[in-house]
This record gives sequence, C-alpha cells and structure tokens, in this order.
Amino acid sequence: MAVQGDSGTKEEIKTQFTTIEGVYRLLPLSEYSRPNRVAYNNSGGSGTIPPVRVSFVSLPDSSGSVNSVNGDRTKICFNYGRELFVYTYRGIKKAADLTKPIDKRAYNKEDVPTCHDFNSTTANADGVSLLVGLLGGQVQLIDPITKEVNKAYNAGERLIDKTKVTCVRWIPGSPNQFLAAHSSGHMYTYNEELMCGVDRPHYQLFKQGEGYSVYTCKTKSTRNPLYRWVIGDGSINEFAFSPCSKYLAVVSQDGYLKVFNFDTMDLVGSARSYYGGLLCVCWSPDGRYVVTGGEDDLITIWSFHEKRVVARGRGHKSWVTVVSFDSFTTLYSDLDELDTCTDDTSKHNSYSNDVRGSKTSNGAPSSRPSSNRNSLASDGLGLSVTSYRLGSVGQDTLLCLWDLKDDVLTQPYLRPRSSTVVSSSGVVNSGGVGGNQTGQSTANAKCNNTKESSVGSDASHHSHSTNSLTAKLANLNFGEKKDKEKGEKDHKRSLSLASKNSTQNCKGSVNKNQVGGSTWSSEDWCKPMGTWVCPRLDECPVLEPMVCKKIGHERLSGLVFREDCVITSCQDGCVLTWCRPGKQPGSNQHSTPSPTTAVAMGGGPIASGGTVV
Amino acid sequence: MGANASQLEKEIGADQFPPNEHYIGLVNFGNTCYINSVLQALYFCKPFREKILEYKAKNKRTKETLLACLADLFYNIATQKKKVGSIAPKKFIARFRKENVKFDNYMQQDAHEFFVQLIDSINETIMEKQLSGGRNRTQGDGDMQGGGGQQDSGGGGGGGVSHLQQQDNTWVHEIFQAVVTRELKCLNCEAVRSTDEVLNNLSVEVHQNTSITHCLRCFFSTETISAENKVLCENCCSLQEHQKRTRVKKLPTILVLHLKRFQFLGQYNRTLKLSHRVVFPLELRVFDTSSDAVNPDRLYDLAAVVVHCGTGINRGHYIAIVKSHRFWLLFDDDAVDKIDPSVMEEFYGLTSEIQKSSETGYILFYQARDPT
Repeated sequence: MAVQGDSGTKEEIKTQFTTIEGVYRLLPLSEYSRPNRVAYNNSGGSGTIPPVRVSFVSLPDSSGSVNSVNGDRTKICFNYGRELFVYTYRGIKKAADLTKPIDKRAYNKEDVPTCHDFNSTTANADGVSLLVGLLGGQVQLIDPITKEVNKAYNAGERLIDKTKVTCVRWIPGSPNQFLAAHSSGHMYTYNEELMCGVDRPHYQLFKQGEGYSVYTCKTKSTRNPLYRWVIGDGSINEFAFSPCSKYLAVVSQDGYLKVFNFDTMDLVGSARSYYGGLLCVCWSPDGRYVVTGGEDDLITIWSFHEKRVVARGRGHKSWVTVVSFDSFTTLYSDLDELDTCTDDTSKHNSYSNDVRGSKTSNGAPSSRPSSNRNSLASDGLGLSVTSYRLGSVGQDTLLCLWDLKDDVLTQPYLRPRSSTVVSSSGVVNSGGVGGNQTGQSTANAKCNNTKESSVGSDASHHSHSTNSLTAKLANLNFGEKKDKEKGEKDHKRSLSLASKNSTQNCKGSVNKNQVGGSTWSSEDWCKPMGTWVCPRLDECPVLEPMVCKKIGHERLSGLVFREDCVITSCQDGCVLTWCRPGKQPGSNQHSTPSPTTAVAMGGGPIASGGTVV
Repeated sequence: MGANASQLEKEIGADQFPPNEHYIGLVNFGNTCYINSVLQALYFCKPFREKILEYKAKNKRTKETLLACLADLFYNIATQKKKVGSIAPKKFIARFRKENVKFDNYMQQDAHEFFVQLIDSINETIMEKQLSGGRNRTQGDGDMQGGGGQQDSGGGGGGGVSHLQQQDNTWVHEIFQAVVTRELKCLNCEAVRSTDEVLNNLSVEVHQNTSITHCLRCFFSTETISAENKVLCENCCSLQEHQKRTRVKKLPTILVLHLKRFQFLGQYNRTLKLSHRVVFPLELRVFDTSSDAVNPDRLYDLAAVVVHCGTGINRGHYIAIVKSHRFWLLFDDDAVDKIDPSVMEEFYGLTSEIQKSSETGYILFYQARDPT
C-alpha cells in the first residue's frame, strides 16, 4: 500500500533537463545494467550494498590514437552488488547490447567490489589493466579483455588492511603504481609488479605533518605497500589527483579535505565540512579549485591559490555522493589579453607554485579541457566571465548542475552590509577589473604568497560583486522564496548569499576581519569554525544549483561527463546516458541550440531529427 | 543473557572498558521496550545523567515521584558492581503507569510520547520543589509561552502535555529546551510580529531519500498565508497576507529530533508507519537560526538513537543505539551489544514505497560539543 500525504516521494522521475546550452535527454536504449535485469524492485537489502560506480577507458586503436568519440573502443566498468561488469560502451549512437558483456564476474559475499579504475596509460588495442577494490580490503588487478592478468594485493590473510577499500586509482601517468584508500583511514601506494610480503608489514615513519603521517615498509627488498599514509580520524572516503598530477586531494569521514603535494608528501592546504563526513572530491579542470560534497548536504568549493573555502552550494536534500566538473562546458575568458593566461603553460605554472614557493617543475598536464565559447561567454554586454560547470549527485536521487562564476569564487569573505553598499560601477571598468581578476591572481600566485593575492582580490571586490549581488540582496530579506520552488526552477542564476542573517547580522564582524586577513594556521585545526578552513555560513557565498532534477528511484552514486553525453549511475544498478544538446542521434551535429529554442523543443526523451534550428 | 553480557565485556576488553561506565540492559515487563529504549538513550546523554545523579545525591529521602524513581534507577545502574549485566526497572515502570493512566496497560506505546511525558513530569517536580523551597518566584519573560512539546499526529489524546507558562528556568530547560521564534510578517506594511516558543524537542516531517538536515529545513521553511487564511495585521487594521517563518533563537544542550514516522490516515482509520530513508550524520549543525541567536554555529554530536522496529505505532519493538566514549552500543532491552558505527546505515530506513516492517531511527539525541 502506498503511503499518502507525502508529495515529495511522488515526484516524477525526469527523463530530460534543460540548461542554458540546451536540453539533455535520457537515452533509454543506452541504459547499462546487469543482463536480464529484473524490473525495478527494491528488495530493501540494497541499503548496505556498496554504491554502484562507473569507470571508463578509451583504448587506442592499433595506430595508437585515442578517439574518445569512437564508441567501440570505449569500455565501461560498473559494479552492482556482488557483480562486476565490463561492456563496450557504445555511447549515444548505438543501443547498449547487454547480452554481450566483455567480462562479468561474481564475487563472494565478503569480497563485494566497491571501486575500480582502468589504467589509461598502459591501455592498448588488445588489453587494459583494471583495478578492483573489494569490501574485505583486497585489491584485484585484472585484464577484462585478454583475461590473462589476475593478480591480488592484500589478499588471503589481508595483512596490510582488513577494512573496506573505499577508493582505488592508478597514479596518473604511472604504468604500474596505484593508490588504494581504506575505511581504516589508511591509504597505501602499491606497485603492481611487486609482491606483498608473507608477513605483516613493519612500518617506519617517513614523513609527518599536521593530522597525517606517511610510513615506508621496513624490508630488505622493496615490496608492497611502498607507502602507508595515515590521514585524519576515520575512513578516507575518496581521493583525487590534480589535473597536473602533482597534488592529491583526500576527503575523510572526519570532515576534512586535505591537499598534499604527492611527491614531497607535504600538506599544502585543508578545509573542513560545515559538519559531518566529506564523501567525495574533485578538481576543476584547470586545477584552481577543489570541490567536495558531504553529509552536510552541501558542496564546498575550496580555492587552491588562496587556500580557503570560497563558496558553498546548497541544493541537495541529502548527502552528496559524487561531485564532478564538466570540463566540456567550463567556459574560459574571452578577452584577448587573457588568452595568454588561460593556455596550458601559464595555467600550470600558476598552480605549481604553492604557498611554500616550491620549485616550478610541474608534471605534464594530463588533460586539457576543451575551450568552449558559446553565447554564455558573451553574456552581459560583452563582459567575459569565467564559469565552471559542476555536477553533483546525491542520496536524494537528485542531479544538480552548478555554474560557478569566477567572480563569485574570488570574492573575499562577506562582511555583513559591506557588499550591499556597492554602487553600480561602469560597464567598462567592471569588465576591466573583473576580467583582470584572473590574470591578476595568476600573476600574484606566480611570485607572491596567497596572502597578497587575496589582498589583490580584495581591492577589486567593489567592482566585481556588483550586478548580480546587489540584485540578489534586494530579494534576500524575509521575502526569500521557499526552497522547494527554488529547486524546481531551471534558468536561475546560481548566485545568492547565505540567506539567513545576511542583511541584518553584524555580529562578530571584528572577528571576521581578523580571519579574512590571515591564512589558516595550526590553531585552526582545533577550532576551524569561522576560519578559512571552515567559514561561518554567513561569511561566504551560498550558491544554488542551476538544474536540480530527480532522475532515479534510488540514491545516485556515479556521475561522469563525456564530450557528447553525461553518465549517471544509481544504487538500483542502472547506468544511464544523457545525451547533450545538439548531439542527439540523427540530429544536426554542427549547431548548438540557443536556450530559447531548446526550451521550445520540449518533446519526449528521444525526439527524433529535425528539432534543431 | 549472562553469556551475552560477559561476551560484551570480552569484546570491549578489560583495558579498554571505560572506567566508571556501566552497560546495563533493562528487563522488559511486557511491551516496555518503548520505556527502556528512551531511558537508555537518556542515560547516555551525559549532561542529563549527571543532573539526575546529582538530584539523587542531594535528595536522599523524598516522596516517590517519577523523578525520584528515575534517579534511583540511574543511581542503581551507575553503582552496579558489574560492568555489564541487566536490571529490572520495576519501580520506575510501576510509578510511570500509576501517574499516566493512558500507559497503564501492556500495550506497545509510542516512545516519543513517553519521552515528552517523562521530561514534563521531571520538570514539574523540579519546579514544585523550587517553589516549595521558598524561593521567590521571579516573573519570567513575558513572551515565554506555548506548549511543552509538539503533538504528533498519531499521538491521540494529549495526556499531560503541560503548559510551560511564566516560570523559572530549570536544568531541564537548560538541557532540552530550544527557543524558536515564529515570525509573522505582514506583506502589506512589512511589520514583523514575532512570538517565542519553547520546545523540548523538534518533531520533523519525514520525506523519502532525504537527510535529517533537509527535514529540519522543512520544519523551518517559510510559508505564505494568503487567501482565506489572511491574518489581521494590527498595523494595517485589516486582514492581510502574511509570511510565516520559524527560526531557532536558542539551541539546547541536547537537541532531540523526533521523526514523525507515524501518520494517521483517516480513510483507513489507522496509523501507518513511514519507513522513508532519512539519513542522519554523526555531526550536525542547525542552518535556520535567527539573526540574534546566541551560538548559531553550535556543533552537535549524535549521542543516541531510539530505533523503532516493525510496522506500526502499536506493534513492533524499540531499541536504543548509544555512543559511550569511543564505542557504539545497541541496547535491546536486557541485551547489550557493541556495534560498528557503520551499522547505523541499517537504521536510516527503506527506499521502497511498499509498506513493510522496517528498523528506522525514530528519536535522535544530538549533544552539543561545546568548547571545554
């Protein structure tokens, strides 16, 4: 019997959603799941099975070139319950053929797969290395194509770690080293070619810092694990390498984000959730921001340059399980003078200079997001805005998309009242200073420490926070809209300030000024609230999602952005493909529909051709 | 039972067992698990336990009140020779049934209603004592008014929901009381009227696949009163549209959150259980605090959870999950087990819409982590 009076649960599951660039549609034929999937039926037992995660790899053809659009060389791996599946991902062009998995494995109850990662460095036309982390602590290495490789680490007695593997990844660019995090709060570096010892490893302290320590294995011959990282208090939930491969961001159940220089093992920065564990983490494509999601239902945006939390995002109704940047929709500045600042060299230069002024040798950029200029870039009287597109999914079954504008992210902490008195500045001036912001902070980061660069952004504060900010503040007293209404709306600018207190609250402004003027220090570890590590709710901007849609019956656990589509996965074992606007099979490829036409298209989930102008 | 108890001791380990701590189960006298589970949760809310034991120490011989019986029971637990085991809360239950006719039977009752009754009863006893103690009763703030607890829809019959009128503050208030401000803003003249209300716990609606954070946000959501529900604005001297919102002005030491999982459905003439999956983190802050709130960023730690197991309000079972030092323990009447905190996931609820039996968090006890 269905329970009544709870409209929230009756909400329709969406098969399309609209963004400023057009309509994203669900492709029902490109749904991946286990073969012969039974109709949706929650057995209730799914509460404790590991999240369904998705990994992709594009195999080079025999000539060695990788073409990510060529579907047949793209492989998808996902876990569901005790099973692990590898299929050829046929993308948006062809329907999924679930009858022919490349590989399909069933595990014991104790060895349920929890996470996996393909090695794209060593992948070739004939085979690929796939790591699979298991509930019991083991890490398995298989080749799902040739099926010739089958190694196990921390197997048998599990002498290294007996707790669940929470995240496993190849170290970028490395043919044989990988990193595995556990719910024990430990993380291990392995070399797949080395053996694990037959005895319990003896560790030797190698490096220690605020809230973490790194150990090496004390043996005559080199063996696994190469290193053991002990980080924070409680499970490590996820980690992510920066696009330049040099830095590692780690999030834990104790609510901390910690960012390390992976090679030197130095802690370069940290942040704290508003409350509760942090569950997921990702880097912006240019390496300037780290975004986390967690049990406070928030996304938290942390600036790598400034080493501070610059904004939070509120749109989820439950815990945020995955955050991911959409590098294909992230916009770069259009101004001519800034073009030099957004190319690879200067970008990577700027963030390889960390606060400690370490040497400028930088890892090769592993991925460069495509620079995408459409109508958005020229939005607002020819001003250029740098805007990042971020996606997040959560236990609330919602997919949220956020547009993170550079001008919001570079604001100093809000001091109550100060921003409301900002007068509207001239368009030219505003463009100049606002646009320069990027260049300025980049320049600052090159030769200065973060403190100075934050002063730089302070100076330009008055001009770049004008238009949208003042407009929003006008709506922001008592008359705030209901959250529900907000969530439903599509075309909404994502900036709003922390609604509560923002207009009347003057308390503690002295304290805040102090905070704004100093970088985080070791005292912040004890009491992070109100510091750069964890600003108060009314001190930093609170963003709203541009899109917030219910897309599943069950909580969502995977989100991947690809050039022509978005992939989501759900706890019920379904991996869904959402076609990007203008990419629908059979439709015209060359034009991107404008927002208005996109809305006008309406229609069903798979509108056939002829819908595009 | 004995085997279970010694096993617990072994599992924790003699050197690990917290000093001066006792994990004592409570015997079930026929559907008294709704009492046992709440008592265990309260026992492990340290500020409350300390006050009760302090009361016991200061009041050796008093007339038998529910508070006195509770103090005896807590004292009995705290002074057990054995670290683990079980005792029978006979006197307390007899006293409670005597005071509350509605509960004087062997039916399963609502743990939340019991909690409200118990807290009100303790508060009354303390206030009587303060009055008879010859203290001059000072006039409380004029704006303190309202009920002592939210009535939940499935409750039926409001037994002894007391009126907390102008009063002295007792330690019960200090521990449990949240002060919320209900603001009513006239959309015509923008005049804001606000009234303060004190609540010993917050009863929040549950929604499928949400978090307790979201449930709290709904509790505090803004709503517009319009059409036939217009309210008289004294400033405008006419009926006007108003906007209503609730904000927390004072956060309590122990924030008790009651999930309204029992919903009375008129057409079926019965109360159904909403087994919705509502996740609750081990840490919590409250988003919707008023601009003049004292400590709006107050951080809470989950201290205890009363879990309802079963299909409905008058059937099923209650257990308590509590945190003690670094351990999580599950109290199922006289049985006590150490559990891994990851087991908590099993008590969030079900994502299925089909009505079935479930083990779900029902009352959450969050304790403020204040700087010491």
